[in-house]
Formats: sequence, C-alpha cells, structure tokens
Amino acid sequence: MFYFHHISCISPQKTFADIDIENINSPAGDKLLVAEPVYEEIPLGILRRMGKAVRIGVGTALKIVKHNPDGIVIGTSNGGMEDCIKFLNQIIEYDEGMLTPTNFVQSTTNAVAAQIGLLTSNKGYNCTHVHRGLAFENAMMDVDMLLKENSSHNYLLGGVDEISAYNYNIELLGGWYKKEKITGTDLYDQHSEGSIAGEGAAMFLANNNDKNAIARLQAVRIFHSEDENLIADELKKFISENFLEEESLLFFSGENGDIRFQKYYSACEEVINKDYTVAHFKHITGEYPSVSAIAVWLSCYILKEQKLPEHFLKYPSTKKDFSKILIYNNYKGIQHSFILISKK
Amino acid sequence: MGIISAAGNNLAANRNSLMLGKSGIASAEFLSTKYASLLPFGEVKISTQELKEKLKAQEPGVTRTSLLALHAFEEAIKDSGLTNAELNSSDTALIGADTVGGMCLTDELYHDANKHEQGSEYISSYDCGSVNMYLQSRYHIKGIGNTINTACSSSANAIMYGARLIQHGFAKRAIVGGCDSLAKFTINGFNALRILSDEPCRPFDANRKGLNLGEGGAFLVLEKEENTANRHVYAQLTGYCNSNDAYHPSSLSENGDGPYLAMKGALEVANISSDKIDFINAHGTGTENNDEVESKAMIRLFEKPPLFASSKANTGHTLGGAGAIEAIYSILSIYNGEVYPEINFSDPIPNVGLMPVSKYQKMDLRHVMSNSFGFGGNCSSLIFSKA
Repeated sequence: MFYFHHISCISPQKTFADIDIENINSPAGDKLLVAEPVYEEIPLGILRRMGKAVRIGVGTALKIVKHNPDGIVIGTSNGGMEDCIKFLNQIIEYDEGMLTPTNFVQSTTNAVAAQIGLLTSNKGYNCTHVHRGLAFENAMMDVDMLLKENSSHNYLLGGVDEISAYNYNIELLGGWYKKEKITGTDLYDQHSEGSIAGEGAAMFLANNNDKNAIARLQAVRIFHSEDENLIADELKKFISENFLEEESLLFFSGENGDIRFQKYYSACEEVINKDYTVAHFKHITGEYPSVSAIAVWLSCYILKEQKLPEHFLKYPSTKKDFSKILIYNNYKGIQHSFILISKK
Repeated sequence: MGIISAAGNNLAANRNSLMLGKSGIASAEFLSTKYASLLPFGEVKISTQELKEKLKAQEPGVTRTSLLALHAFEEAIKDSGLTNAELNSSDTALIGADTVGGMCLTDELYHDANKHEQGSEYISSYDCGSVNMYLQSRYHIKGIGNTINTACSSSANAIMYGARLIQHGFAKRAIVGGCDSLAKFTINGFNALRILSDEPCRPFDANRKGLNLGEGGAFLVLEKEENTANRHVYAQLTGYCNSNDAYHPSSLSENGDGPYLAMKGALEVANISSDKIDFINAHGTGTENNDEVESKAMIRLFEKPPLFASSKANTGHTLGGAGAIEAIYSILSIYNGEVYPEINFSDPIPNVGLMPVSKYQKMDLRHVMSNSFGFGGNCSSLIFSKA
C-alpha cells in the first residue's frame, strides 16, 4: 500500500516529545487521559476556542504537516464530543434561547480535519471518516486509493478521539468500563466485563516513496460481524494472502480486558503461527474507537527502534528483530480490523 | 435509487413534486422544538412511530435518522434488483453519511450524557456511525462499511468513496448515500449562527433570508459499467472532486476557492470541458454567504454558467442527506430529459446577476453537475452523465 514518513502522536504516554514507551503511566481511575504538550504552533486565540479532540488532533498534525501534504484524511468516531454536549446542555438549560455558536461549530465531527486545513491553508482533498471503530481504517483505505490515483502526492492521515465527561458517562452507563482499579497490565487479568477509557491522536505523513520511510502499510481488512469463527477464517486468509508463514512477525492484539470479547482474540491466537510473538497495547492506550491509529504509530516506532519493551509482551519472549507487525483490533465485538505494517 | 424527503416519501413522489414545483417546506408537525411553529422546516411527513411500524423496525435504540436511512435504503435495493446473495456478498460495500446520527434525540442524549442513573435504550445510537451500522447488521452486509461526515457535503463524499472503492477493485458494487433527521441540536446551532430563514428559503434571490433545515435520506446503487448487462441503468457517475476552502469554519471565502476547485476538479476527472455541463444542481442553501460565493465560483469557472437551480426550496437543507438527495435529482433530470424549476425565486443577486431555471422544461441533458459545500470548508462536486 503506502509508506509512513513522518509520524506524530499525543497519547496518555510519552509519545510526543522525548518518547519513552518503556516507563508507562497507569490510568487514573478507569481513564487513561492524554498527556498534553504545550502547543507552541497553535495561535493562542485559536487554541482557547478548541475542544480537546480538536486541540490534540491539530497539535499532533502541526508537528508533521509542514511537509505540505496534498490532502488531509482523518478518522474519528466522535470528533469534538465535549463541545457537542456543551452546546446540547445550553439548548436544554436555556430552553432553546439565544445561544453562542462557537461550541456548535467546534462540535462538528469534521472540525479536526477542517481546522488543520484552515491553519495550514490546505485546499486539497479533505475528508473525515466516522464509522466508529473502523473510522481510522477507512481513512487508511482512502489514503491508499488517493496514492494510487496520484502516485507522487503526500497525504496527512490521522486518527483522533477524546474522552469528555459526556461520552465517558454514556460509555459508563453502557457498561464499557471496569469497576476494579487497574494498574498497568493487570487490565488483562480481571476476567470481568469492561475496559478502561482512553483517548489520543496519531498522525502520519503518507506517500509512495520507500526512501527514508519509517515503515510501510502492507494491508488492511475490515469486517462487521459478531462471529468469531468468521474472523478466524478471515485471519487465515489474510495470513496466506500476505505470505506471513515464515516471517518474524509480531502479533499486536487489541484485547482490552473485556471478557465478552476475549473469544475473538483467542480465536485469532489459535490461527497464528506459534512462533509469532504476541503483544498487547491497550494497557497504555485504553479503549476508544480510533485506538488503532495509536497501534499503527506504536508499530512504526517499534519497527524503527527494533525495541519492544517487556510490558507489551503477552507471553515471555526474547525475540527482538521483527520485520512485520500484524494488528488485530475489534471494537465492541462487532467491528474488526487486520492491519499489517512492515519494516520496508 | 431510493429517497425520502419533505418533497415525497419515494422516488416517484419526489419527481412529481419537482415537476410541479411543489415545496415540502412548512411548519413542523412531528418535531419537538420551540421553533416548530416559528420557523418553516422540510419535515418528512411520517411520524417516527409510523416509520417503525411500516419498516418493521421495532428493535430498541433505532432512531429517526436510522429509520429514514432504512426507508431510502429499502427502496434503493428494490429498485436496483440486487439479490439477497449480492447484498450479502463480501464485495458489496455500504457507504453512508450523516452529521447528526442519533443526536436527533436531544433530550435523551442530554440525560445519558449527564446523569448517573440507568441509560436509555439509545445509549449506542448517538454517533454518526450508528445509522449505517444498523443497516449493516440488519441486512448482514459483509463488504466494506463506512460512514463519512464532511458536514453538508457528507453524502457527496460517500458517493465518491463508493465509486473509488469499485474503481480500485475493493468492491464490485457499492450502496452509497446519506441521511439526516431534524434535530434540536442542528436547529439551535444554525439559529445561533443566524442563518435560518423565518420564511420559505429563496436560493439565489437578492432578498434571501437564510436556509430552512430539512430531513431525509437517499441511497444509490453503483456498479461498474461491465457488470450492468441485466440492470436498469439510470446514469453514469463520471466526475467527482473534493476540495477545501480553507478559509473559515462556517462560511465560504469571497472568491469561492473551495467551490471553484471542487467543480474544476470534477470536470478534470470526467475529462470534459466546462461548456459540456448542461445543468447544475447548485448547493444553493439560501444563505447570504453561500449563494453569492457559489454564483461567483460558477462565473469564475464557466464564464457564462449553464442552466442551474437549487432544490433546497423543495426539501430544505437536509445536511448529511443533501448530497445524495440532489445526486438523485440530477440523475432524474438526465434520465427523464427534464429540468426542474427553482421555486420562490424572483430577483437576482445584484452584483452577480444569475437567474436559476424558473420553469419546468423538457430537454436532452448529457452532463449534470451537483454541488455540495459544507462547514469546515468541505466542498465537493459530482458529475453525472447520460448512460
């Protein structure tokens, strides 16, 4: 598919400046909140009006967008949820009185891509994919097609979602968060329902140029199903189509500690070659719809550094030199994706 | 093709309204907002309860947005003659678009977002993705599924994305479209921006006062030309382009760079010169800003713009549904060899002087352009051509 050149990430971990994915932050309660940097590149007057999703999305993008992309493609399930509910609360509390439009304008799901376009005067292709747990995967497929249509172009690709007090409440009422206190990898040992809330933004500069690339997106597949056997069969197909039998591969599992979804991850582990190293990542990112963007960022970083800190490992392993990372993620047991990232 | 809007509950009813120049804009009957009697709306004339019964969609958590989408989707599938096997095949993609999703349930969302007691049945239905995910689950659609939100141009981009998936071999056919329902959220948002008209909207008129919000949905079935041997074909999608105006979060730049680039790009993809466009279904919302900028962009690109009209005075602005609804109107024009008049227009905007089509007329159309421009500078144009 295409190559990742510049990458940038704001997450609950030290991923933006002075990157350190060895010493990790544990959740505060059942939330893993982003560690926000000082946004030097966003004009203060504009920054003040931005909600968190827009802020972290734009902040992550501005670090790499100087390379003047030909378009901007973002995956986000909710965009600026905080502004959205702020505006909604005004509607109810002021009984549809005269309201200020700022929160409304900021709340539209396309506000991240729009603000990046606006701040960088980018008049190219601009699209926001919002298909919940597959929003970022669709953004990647969009960029793949764009680069087949315009082989010399560069695109900014990103995924972003926030935890606001409001979507946290909605998800909590929905039973998606654990009641136990979680520290680090004990997320996976509770045998209970729910996970921990997460948020973050990851951005990539993508093109067809292999020279000086960090990594390559080799393949993406997405599925809408509740049948773990179908997912296992599709994984078999994916592995054979991409000739993954002999490779030194890292299987990056999106398991999130929710016992209801373990059957999908277990079914996939049954399918893969027993020599593959198995790792997981949601203890450092939490669970949210566009979390696969951070999984791709982590994969690029791990392939570049050839270092996999031990806390990621699901089973003990001493293997270090991975040539490919296969991410399997599912969102709420119905939206599934396979993403294959290779060193070159 | 399948469609539901204030102008009619199906394809035939929509065409009939367009031919007669009948507007679906009136005071709202089912919508609960204090503006229901103060402002005109393009409301679909069926209650949510009736839609649930008619569509046998009694599952908990189904919103009006999903029901309108389902209504249009079912008509499109029936009209296209897709078999169940084709619908369930892994090479059939479903690409939708919407901007409010389940937020039409403003009061329920207020409760679920703020209270710590038991959640409502709609707890998983507020986001934009919920609409298309409901269709995916209900019809066991196994191909690529997606939802796009680029504000008012959302479903134009869904059409474009579906076409590109087919072009690149990721799908053999794509069901594409979009939907939105009237919501307190958008009504108050647009009202706060002071761009809602208290009269039926008058796109491109010198005395226009703003837009009317509407609701509705539309879906189209796209297939590659070589797979259409036994199909009933309405038209071809030949051009498309998405460009950003990069000027302001909620208004267009004076020169209309975004609209100009979108229209120009679509001509390039279609590989035709601007004089080949016979008609434009304009975005034409009836706001001060859009209609003037769109006019200027048309003059900039075409010098002497072709025949054009906005159908927003028939349907209201249906936001995420608009691109797909107007794509269908453009296709109906080509297929039936006719252009539909713009209603409510009387005086041209002084400094641009453009006059939209004012009478229904029969004419042979080869290429029709459909414009959709949205907040965040998201501009898209599509070109449909005679098959």
